[in-house]
Amino acid sequence: MDAKDILGLPKNSFPPQDKKSRPPKESHRKPDGISREVYALTGGLAPLMPALDSSQLKKKPPSDEKVAWQWLGFTSSARKDNLHLYHWVRVVNGVPPTGDYSFAKYNRSVDITKYTNEEYEKYLTDPRWTKEETDQLFELCERFDLRFIVIADRFPSSRTVEELKERYYSVSRALLIARNPSPVDIASHPLVKEPYNVSHDLERKRAMSLVLSQTRQQEQRDEEVLAEAKRIAQSRISAKVSQEAEMAVASNAGVEVTERTIQGETVSPLPSNAQHPSIPVPSSMSTENASTLASLRILRVYLRTYALEQMLQAASSTAGLRTIKRVEQTLQDLGVNLKPRVPTKSVCAEHLELRKEILTLLNLQKQLQYKEAEGLPFREGSYTETPGTPKHFHHGKQDRAFVPDPSFGGERTGKRDQKRKAPGRLSEAPSSPAQSKRPRKLKASDF
Amino acid sequence: MYGGDEVSAIVIDLGSHTCKAGYAGEDAPKAVFPSVVGAIDQMDIDEADNSEKNSESAADAKNNDKPKGKRKLYVGSQSLGYRRDHMEVLSPLKDGIVADWDIVDNIWDHAFRECLLIDPKEHPMLLAEPSSNTQQQRERAAELMFEKYKAPALFLAKNAVLTSFASGRATSLVVDCGGGSTTVAPVHDGYVLQKAVATSPIGGEFLTDCLMKSLESKGIVIKPRYSFRRKEIRPGEFQTVDLDFPNTTESYKLYSQRVIASDIKECVCRAPDTPYDDSAYSNIPMTPYELPDGQTIEIGADRFKIPDVLFNPSLVQTIPGMESFAEVAPSVRGLPQMVIESINKCDVDIRRELFSSILLAGGTASMQQLKERLEKDLLEESPQAARVKVLASGNATERRFSVWIGGSILASLGSFQQMWFSKSEYEEHGASYIQRKCP
Repeated sequence: MDAKDILGLPKNSFPPQDKKSRPPKESHRKPDGISREVYALTGGLAPLMPALDSSQLKKKPPSDEKVAWQWLGFTSSARKDNLHLYHWVRVVNGVPPTGDYSFAKYNRSVDITKYTNEEYEKYLTDPRWTKEETDQLFELCERFDLRFIVIADRFPSSRTVEELKERYYSVSRALLIARNPSPVDIASHPLVKEPYNVSHDLERKRAMSLVLSQTRQQEQRDEEVLAEAKRIAQSRISAKVSQEAEMAVASNAGVEVTERTIQGETVSPLPSNAQHPSIPVPSSMSTENASTLASLRILRVYLRTYALEQMLQAASSTAGLRTIKRVEQTLQDLGVNLKPRVPTKSVCAEHLELRKEILTLLNLQKQLQYKEAEGLPFREGSYTETPGTPKHFHHGKQDRAFVPDPSFGGERTGKRDQKRKAPGRLSEAPSSPAQSKRPRKLKASDF
Repeated sequence: MYGGDEVSAIVIDLGSHTCKAGYAGEDAPKAVFPSVVGAIDQMDIDEADNSEKNSESAADAKNNDKPKGKRKLYVGSQSLGYRRDHMEVLSPLKDGIVADWDIVDNIWDHAFRECLLIDPKEHPMLLAEPSSNTQQQRERAAELMFEKYKAPALFLAKNAVLTSFASGRATSLVVDCGGGSTTVAPVHDGYVLQKAVATSPIGGEFLTDCLMKSLESKGIVIKPRYSFRRKEIRPGEFQTVDLDFPNTTESYKLYSQRVIASDIKECVCRAPDTPYDDSAYSNIPMTPYELPDGQTIEIGADRFKIPDVLFNPSLVQTIPGMESFAEVAPSVRGLPQMVIESINKCDVDIRRELFSSILLAGGTASMQQLKERLEKDLLEESPQAARVKVLASGNATERRFSVWIGGSILASLGSFQQMWFSKSEYEEHGASYIQRKCP
């Protein structure tokens, strides 16, 4: 209130809030005896019950006992001699505590089986171990409570930890079996049920030492090499995948396969390829394809025909089946084999070129027909219209299928168009037979 | 203390630089003094006028029946600090093992009677011994303790084990950078694996020598404290007067100089973060240090070069005056290599655990940045599967006395009281029984 006066603020700026906050506060009135601020520290509530019993804090020991601390001697049952050491002892009523030294019970040791000489002669002889060594081993085992690493360290002759373990456990096992004639009793004993397996232990240790013995620089180099190898493998896999995809597309008649294999022989005279002709006509072409191609891929051998096939497919994949047929028919008309007989690099290249040119030619012809058909109704009157239109549309549809040309085909047609247009202007002769062909064709198909 | 039961045992750790002695159950030794003695061969000089030090009388009584030429031994920093004519400074240890038992006897005597003021007959003794101590040495120690001092019980514990116990671990790799040598010892389940212990003669004292030679080559002369006196001419201004004592032995002079040089080393030297390189450290700022005679010297690259000798012993050859070490140098390896070598000699199963608990102990280990540098070097060399962790107590006192503290802990445990080698056992079985009793 005072602060608001000083600041010049209106007094009743938030009356509803004030009213709300006041009633809860007034319900907790502070108790008398402590100041307001201290009471506020407790959170406005009195504590429910005291945390500590104040009477407990000044507990006195029962007054009938008299406790003194004395420097008294003691012996321990854990010692074999009777060494007297002295320590402070809490003496109650003049009576020193009786009983053994309180820490004597911590003197535990492992039970080691002991053998007599006769038992040794009978059961425990081993070509690799002398009796003295075995005795030493057992003595050390007892001293060091079967801590084999320490025993191996202290053993006079250098024996590995595994050898020592093996000897100890085999001796214990043999003794156990020898002393209990009935096998039933001891079958559940861990020594009998799970004997110590030296080779397994050796193998495990060898593996572990491999992990732990490389220096960090070596490990970094290994990692680099592995990463490099992984990348190479990845790139090869991706190449394989793409090849396989195309190969799946190119599954053909058996003739082609045998042709390919025969030609494979001529193309790449590697010894492994000689196996291929010996393979009889396959029952399933695709698997044969896959196997030869896979094996060849492994050898990184490139079948020219196969590559050709690839390229063909790449070239004509968007062209549609009908066009392929037409191309092939044109080839045959021209007297060229569908597949070159001697598929060398240059021959294959020429063949592909030829195919492409034929394709382009066919495309252009189609386009021309389409354009002509479009222009026909304006030029030639009605006799071509009605009968022509369905066919025309049919052609048109075919044409339109070609309008979105394949990438390089489109480019080529574009380029060829330009090229052709130039000579076309000079010589109208080639185009006009095409033009004149069309109406004739239409007429022929009409009737 | 639930596991503790004090029997007022005494713990003595005789190191190559200092001897530490005190009661078991305490957290620091009460008596810390240098483990070298001053010896005056009595055949040369008549010793009648030295009456100010009461240590002499005790030493006198002990030495009168010496068969090998009479000599008087002065033990303790007080006695050693006073210059005497013809006093030679001798060390009982040579290459880490005891060569002169007479000196050891005197040292123990000084510890019991002058420093701790006890009667050895009433207290069991725990002695700390080097990790690669021989059977003969142990028997000799037992003989001396039982025959002469009539201790009721004795135990010999290895330094590495005690350091390991001081940090509360039963398995660890202890890197003890002491005065005379550096030892790397693996401890497994409370026992030292002796076949994997690696030692190197490079210790704190060696580094002090390197520093001294380096300073000498720069033309700085360290004057021992006895050789000058400072007079106050005017308030605040001092004048140094040189005193000449022709009868002072060379070894004493060297000893006094070493004291000053080791102080310089402790104040100024730091372990470098990367291997020392002359060109990299040629431009660092110099640190001033004032010698006792008032001279102020500037120390620059040596601050980092000297500690790097621990990591790269071949650096020694660049220090003029240390060529005598050069022949030994090829076989001496740096600290990280010793650690890796020691771990690789151990069984595969415990290697991981050893890597993750490497303990630093010893006076030289309290050098600044040593722990970080060692950790960094080890991280580079160790395999990735192992997690390397170097542990060192933050307190410099604890690092210096970690062996003693481990002994204090061990001797005050209730379950240790059954392990003492008692006098009756000694009489019954002989000194060689100690091998069995103290593994």
